[in-house]
Amino acid sequence: MTGLIILLTFMGLIIVSFAVITQKKLADSIILFMGMGLGSVVLFFIFKAPDVALTEAVISAGISSLIFLMALKHLGEQR
Amino acid sequence: MNLKRELPTTTLSGFALSGLLVLTILNILLQNMPTKIQTAGDALLKLNATEGVANAVTTVVVFFRGFDTLGEIAVLFIASLGIGLMLHSNAKCNIKVESNFMLQTASTLLFPIILLFGVYVMIYGHLSPGGGFQGGVIIASAVLLLLISHKEFEVPHSVIVALETFAGVSYVLIGLIGLFVLDTFLGNFLPHDISQMGLLLSGGIIPIIYIIVGIKVGSEMSMIVQNLIKRDHDV
Repeated sequence: MTGLIILLTFMGLIIVSFAVITQKKLADSIILFMGMGLGSVVLFFIFKAPDVALTEAVISAGISSLIFLMALKHLGEQR
Repeated sequence: MNLKRELPTTTLSGFALSGLLVLTILNILLQNMPTKIQTAGDALLKLNATEGVANAVTTVVVFFRGFDTLGEIAVLFIASLGIGLMLHSNAKCNIKVESNFMLQTASTLLFPIILLFGVYVMIYGHLSPGGGFQGGVIIASAVLLLLISHKEFEVPHSVIVALETFAGVSYVLIGLIGLFVLDTFLGNFLPHDISQMGLLLSGGIIPIIYIIVGIKVGSEMSMIVQNLIKRDHDV
């Protein structure tokens, strides 16, 4: 059962990361990147690293997406 | 002559040289490979019980590798300093869009809960998964929620300065006290009996250091977030 979850999460991660790099809009890429962070949180938790999972959850959902969005806003104003 | 012009000889020789170097290093690494790679952390985990801390990861991060953690905090401080130098502005607010009523009400309700959860993760870092870095970042995310919902909200600069100075100085001071008492930097000079394992007051200096790390990380990340949101747009 755990192996199945790991396999499905890995496949989902690969698919989502392909979607991240092929998006036309950068904002969509950032939202999908947050989804990638969620998948890696599940993987970290299954691989018995709850500390890393907690950090990854906060960083990928909150801080890093904010930094990307702020950079995107700044880029959009310059164009 | 013709051939020499067509071939990018400099690039090719660079590739060849770097490939040779990589192969040499790989060869050296493969010959000196330790036989038991997966047991590298077992020696540290066996020592964990001597410190009386339930969470073995905390013992490794704060105690056995405490000096590295001091360096990590310094790196985070330098990053915060750089962002503050580049993006700091005295403008009150640069968010042009007014946040809506739902976000304002929900953030007022959620802010104390997120803050409390961050402090809980920070204080219980030696008993359960979590710790200073995680708790500090959770507190910073609570500040982020207030910053994007309330236009006039601003973290007072003097409070950040006081918290960060206190945290940085006390980390080094605790390390120096350990150096004087036990002849080791960051020595565990407080009582850390193994019979107390699992209690809130256990592990000697380890929970104190993790709380200090949490204060420092929380204030630095809050400052980074605030500088990113409230900055001049002509930078």
